[in-house]
Amino acid sequence: MTTIQPTPEQVQAFLGRPNDAPMAMVNLLKFKETATYEAGTPEAAENLTGWEAYQRYGAAVTPLLDDIGAKTLYAGPTNGMMIGEGDWDMVAIVEYPNRALMMQMGTSEAYQALHYHRAAGLAHQLLIDTTKIA
Amino acid sequence: MPAFQPTADQFRAFRDDPHDGPIAQVNLLKFRVKAAYKPTDPEHDTEETGAAAYQRYADAFGVAAAEVGGTCLLMGTTERYFIGQGDWDAVMIMQFPNRKAFITTLNHETYQDMHRHRDAGLLAQELITTRPSIPE
Repeated sequence: MTTIQPTPEQVQAFLGRPNDAPMAMVNLLKFKETATYEAGTPEAAENLTGWEAYQRYGAAVTPLLDDIGAKTLYAGPTNGMMIGEGDWDMVAIVEYPNRALMMQMGTSEAYQALHYHRAAGLAHQLLIDTTKIA
Repeated sequence: MPAFQPTADQFRAFRDDPHDGPIAQVNLLKFRVKAAYKPTDPEHDTEETGAAAYQRYADAFGVAAAEVGGTCLLMGTTERYFIGQGDWDAVMIMQFPNRKAFITTLNHETYQDMHRHRDAGLLAQELITTRPSIPE
């Protein structure tokens, strides 16, 4: 199953964790070949790739991450699978101070207003909630 | 199919890629519940988790990698999947100045010795080669 959103159960489980520990969210990203902006939006006429649309999302979300003290630990496009057979276009790691702030950002009006870039560019992803031990 | 090593083709593709800049190796890791040391390994009779055995490998690998400028960007243990479904226990990202430095680490004189910890601890993994864009 491919998805770009958590299920309600995943949101509940996520919120059920202790709230005070820093966490590194591991994004494995697969982009659409062609971005799917809604007809009538300014971007629809630009013929962007999914990659380009997602980069716009990344640029737009960065100030919101800064506001809550979250930090992009790493981001980079893939350059081949050395072991195994996955099919990802990019890996990004974002460290959040705690999950309450992440949820606060994700449900904010400012985030909702820029999310269309993500929806236009992203085919599917995994988001793995990890505790950074090193 | 669960993978454990690069195929010959995967290794050649990595080695022969003309890209000469920094790389970050993204390891998606699945551990054995219990470490499976061989009868000939000094740790054979110890009770240990696969995660603990792999951590010994990761620590030794980090020391060898540091000699050629390799650094660990992340060792994260999985709490849960927030989007999508999967079964990885941990994510480890090691950055190297270039792909030659990674191969040098695999050929380090200590690698054969440290490798038993990987064999004992690891059930399967994927390894994604990436090119860092952040941080620069």
